Amino acid sequence: MTASPPPDEPASPTSSQLLWRLCSLAWRFRGLAGLVLALNVTLVVLNLGSLSFTGLGIDVLRETLVSGATAAQWPGGVQPPTDWSPRAHLVVVAAIVLACSALSAVTKYVTALVSALLSQRMLVQLRAEIYDKLQRLSFRFFDRHDSSGIIGRVAADAQAVRSFIDGVVLKVLTVVLSLAVYMGYMLALHVPLTLACLCTSPLLWIGAVWFSRSVRPLYLRSSELSDRMISALAENVQGIQVVKGFAREPEEIARFAEANRRIKDQKYEIFRRLSTYQPMMGFLTQVNQLILIGYGGYLVIRGELPLGAGMFVFANLMSEFAGQVGQIVNIANTIQSSLTAAERVFEVLDAPLELTDAADAVPLPRAKGHIRFEHVTFGYHPGQPVLHDVTLDIAPGERIGFVGETGAGKTTLLGLVSRFYDPNAGRVLIDGVDVRQYRLNDLRRNIGLVFQESFLFSNTVAANIAFGRPNASLDDITQAAQLSAAHEFIAELPAGYDNLIGEHGSNLSGGQRQRLAIARALLLDPPILMLDDATAAVDPETEHEIRTAIERAMAGRTTLIVSSRVSTLRRTDRICVLKQGRIVELGTHDELIEQRGEYFRLARLQTVEDVLSDDVAPSETTR
Amino acid sequence: MSGIDMLTRLGAKDEDEHRQRPLDFRLITRLMQSTRRYVAARNWLIVVVILRSIQLPGLTWVLTLVITGPVAAGDIAGVIWGAVAFALLAASTQVVMHFRQRLALQLGEAVVHDLRNELFAHLQTMPMSFFHRTKVGRIISRMISDIEDVRVGVQEVLYVSLVQFGQMGMAAACMIWYDWQLFLIVLALAPVFWLLNRHFQGVLSERLRAMRESFSRITATLAESVLGIRVTQSYVRQDENARMFAELVADHSRYNSSVLQAHGLFIPLLEFNSQLFISVLLLVGGWKALDLGSADGVGNLISFLFMANLFFAPISVLGNQYSQALTAMAGAERLFALLDAAPEWTDPPDAVPAPPLTGRVEFEHVTFGYSPAVPVLSEVSFVAEPGQTVALVGHTGSGKTSIINLLAKFYLPQSGRILLDGFDLHQLTGESIHRQMGLVLQQNFLFQGTVADNIRFAKPQATDAEIFDVCHRLDCLDLFVALPQGLQTPVGERGAQLSLGQRQMVCFARALLADPRLLILDEATSSIDSRTEHRLQQALRVLIRGRTSFVVAHRLSTIRQADLVLVLDHGRIVERGTHTELLRHRGVYAHLYERFVQTGG
Repeated sequence: MTASPPPDEPASPTSSQLLWRLCSLAWRFRGLAGLVLALNVTLVVLNLGSLSFTGLGIDVLRETLVSGATAAQWPGGVQPPTDWSPRAHLVVVAAIVLACSALSAVTKYVTALVSALLSQRMLVQLRAEIYDKLQRLSFRFFDRHDSSGIIGRVAADAQAVRSFIDGVVLKVLTVVLSLAVYMGYMLALHVPLTLACLCTSPLLWIGAVWFSRSVRPLYLRSSELSDRMISALAENVQGIQVVKGFAREPEEIARFAEANRRIKDQKYEIFRRLSTYQPMMGFLTQVNQLILIGYGGYLVIRGELPLGAGMFVFANLMSEFAGQVGQIVNIANTIQSSLTAAERVFEVLDAPLELTDAADAVPLPRAKGHIRFEHVTFGYHPGQPVLHDVTLDIAPGERIGFVGETGAGKTTLLGLVSRFYDPNAGRVLIDGVDVRQYRLNDLRRNIGLVFQESFLFSNTVAANIAFGRPNASLDDITQAAQLSAAHEFIAELPAGYDNLIGEHGSNLSGGQRQRLAIARALLLDPPILMLDDATAAVDPETEHEIRTAIERAMAGRTTLIVSSRVSTLRRTDRICVLKQGRIVELGTHDELIEQRGEYFRLARLQTVEDVLSDDVAPSETTR
Repeated sequence: MSGIDMLTRLGAKDEDEHRQRPLDFRLITRLMQSTRRYVAARNWLIVVVILRSIQLPGLTWVLTLVITGPVAAGDIAGVIWGAVAFALLAASTQVVMHFRQRLALQLGEAVVHDLRNELFAHLQTMPMSFFHRTKVGRIISRMISDIEDVRVGVQEVLYVSLVQFGQMGMAAACMIWYDWQLFLIVLALAPVFWLLNRHFQGVLSERLRAMRESFSRITATLAESVLGIRVTQSYVRQDENARMFAELVADHSRYNSSVLQAHGLFIPLLEFNSQLFISVLLLVGGWKALDLGSADGVGNLISFLFMANLFFAPISVLGNQYSQALTAMAGAERLFALLDAAPEWTDPPDAVPAPPLTGRVEFEHVTFGYSPAVPVLSEVSFVAEPGQTVALVGHTGSGKTSIINLLAKFYLPQSGRILLDGFDLHQLTGESIHRQMGLVLQQNFLFQGTVADNIRFAKPQATDAEIFDVCHRLDCLDLFVALPQGLQTPVGERGAQLSLGQRQMVCFARALLADPRLLILDEATSSIDSRTEHRLQQALRVLIRGRTSFVVAHRLSTIRQADLVLVLDHGRIVERGTHTELLRHRGVYAHLYERFVQTGG
């Protein structure tokens, strides 16, 4: 079973492929979506009903009051008995208008409820699906993408994809159907007038398309410029010490003002176009009304069109019509942003799970702790190996230290044991079996990991310790905390083990966080313990406390410990010196110092603080 | 990094910021003042707005006039004249619309532009302690979202509201003119609208807040999951996390639905109200017309139906504008709070620019803490003669960096004095001190731009020859020339395109180009390969030669070269002297050195 080469970035799909996939996603929700659509069409019909009956009311009045006015045309010829008084007719019409409105209000409410149900159902499903997938993706994915981008995919992009379904697919169908209903009604009233009044509509459409095309690059440029302005600001704030230290404030102000001015210029150009386009479009819709006044007025005078059910209704429908056409432009914009979001969402959903259990994966109840690297070669990017042909045998219960310059491959080596990545060549064995043959979850449950930055979750202290075994008893948790020298400070917290930890453990000191991280690892009682530079980010006083915790933690476990501090390394059984991905030296502290090689050199590069911190522990006991 | 930013921006606990705020006359006046520079545009805008609020009802009025007049009477010439009048009015409306849009948009943008510049310039005057306290995300959100809210306030709220009010007023006047009794019916409905609006705004804002909170729980959890993915996977927590997340999402969706439901009830109710009005109008107006028995009544009814639309449409628009006004208030409040935040200290008014310095530095009983209650330095006194190199040695947190921060006048001491060539540092302008100071920090902060840009940072007017000369003196020219585009290679965000060693060299060159009298240097601790390390040591030697240098020393080799070693512990100087003197003294430093030799060789 040779390792597969890391997959390259997949080619980005074309718009039509994306559209197709989005549509098939929409199809999954066809039941509710169809209902929403039907309700929307009902609404259009009801609106038309109340409008046309209002018009009819006018005609009923004119019939009685104006000599020579055309007779009121009741739809379908169904009309109240002619011997009823005009007042009775009026009451009937008003009652119908009221009934239509009431029905329409109820329908609208139901539509809103169903739409909400639909959009929420989609959103919940999408978010949960993306999140679930994210959790299972290999680290390569997280290496490739920055964290805020990934967060955006679940939070914002899922929303944008959802809006494709109700904002584009459903909207387009609704608009098309409404336009059809309106058109049909108007055509039924008077064909030539309808055509005359709508003759500018294609122009509206063309204008909208032309305009959005012409300003899109301007908008893109403007958001680019504003990103640049923001990054100038962020940089300034982050490097403020340098700015102040070199008295560069005036230049920075000028630089920012320049970035700011360019946004303004760009915006002014957009405004110029926008404020020309919109009145022009507005005028086009008014041309429709103008035609209605002229031609429609002529028709009414000729008696070919009723004033109420004809002209009055037409005038009102025209503005509805213009509104619907305008919506199409908004929809076109939504499509664009949905496509971008969809691409990002599908990238997550489609990302292959690089590390999966083999079909015949074997369980690993509890490892003995024998670890062996056999000719392991590995790189994060093809052609740039980080580890070259590493072979190393670690006996059960052994403590081995890893040391080397930044980028020598120490952390990578540990990651291969946990199978965060698979080697490109060679293999990693635990108890004589290739780690790829174990069930992944079993493998990881056998390893306790403490990272350089102890990442804590905003939850209680107890829940953080029990992170790997959520159902652990409080006794187990307390025991792990005692072992990692964390119990004392936890007991002093206002709420003890139930105390909430702030985001990233902001209410704890570095040493306290690190001890909780160790407790978290010890709770699992793992046969293998890996400490990745666990003391690097900690001040020397607390390092001493952590060291006690580490000493206790290592007892009876195979321990792999990455550190740059001689004081830590000296306490291991063997030290493995890595340089540019190769093991260059291997032996005890004394042997390696004797050799006067790489380890000796690294030890000399110890910073003064390292030595000082090493000093704290013994001096406290000797003084 | 950016993920954490996002978290702090969206974290619920962090958001003590309100999205809306009641109308505040003080803030409104201040916003109006910010348009002062564009007084002509603003006044024209008001004229245009008033024109428009007459034109819009005018159009509808002409339309109804034609329908009820010539059309009803069968007067074809009248129809044509009416159409002409409509066409002219429509054209003029759109011309006015053009100016109304353009002026308002430009005014808003101009105000925003000025505010941004003002904010940025203000930030530059703030002392370091401000940046120490304030998260970058906070400042950025002032600059993006708050300013954006203010823009909408300036660009839209006032002018849109004016147009809408004008339209309502004109429509009301027309209706009274036609039939004041019918208008009373309209008027009777208005309070219903108002109450409905009030009630739903209240309900909605409550539910929206709950929804936003639940959403920030989602993003916060999400951010944690992504940033902590290594922990999650290595502790096999995926299923448990997925379950918890699904709960959060479902919870959020409940709030979301409740918002949508409130909307779903509100809008139909509002519309039903105006429809109700139409059927009442039809009945009452029709009844009256029949009583009257003339065609005039029908004409009035038609006009009323059109005008009522004009009268009702602004209500929801105004409701919207009102809520935007409240949002703008909240944005303006935060923005002005930052703009008004006075620097904790500034150079005293009688501060003088520093003369060319020789570089003698004296600390006299200096006590200092970032928060006054927790002193980081107590009673520190020492003298550095011109040209001397002072090495600061001690634990993390012993006060080395604080000494540097005080010397650079990033902070002021609580008590005691710092003298530069005998002048009290406080009495010299910060800017003049910084012009004679070079700074190399541990993070090696580089700005986006090329290598040359970054070196030139210290002296913007420096020629290429000067830059070459500086690199030559540091013996690092080959390092930069070997880059893809030599000195013109972009360094990327925070210098990510360069190696650690190269970044540090750029910072050295930057400091050397400034040719400062005072050099402040925080030595890097990360281990780089021995060849680069060696070259950096050589360059450092060149850099500190001939100027008073303060080095936070992490390497013994650096300490050995120092003329004065200050050993710090808990904010006090516990030992001082040269390397040799201190060894002879057999104190803390000697002990330290022994151990170093033991472990290192």
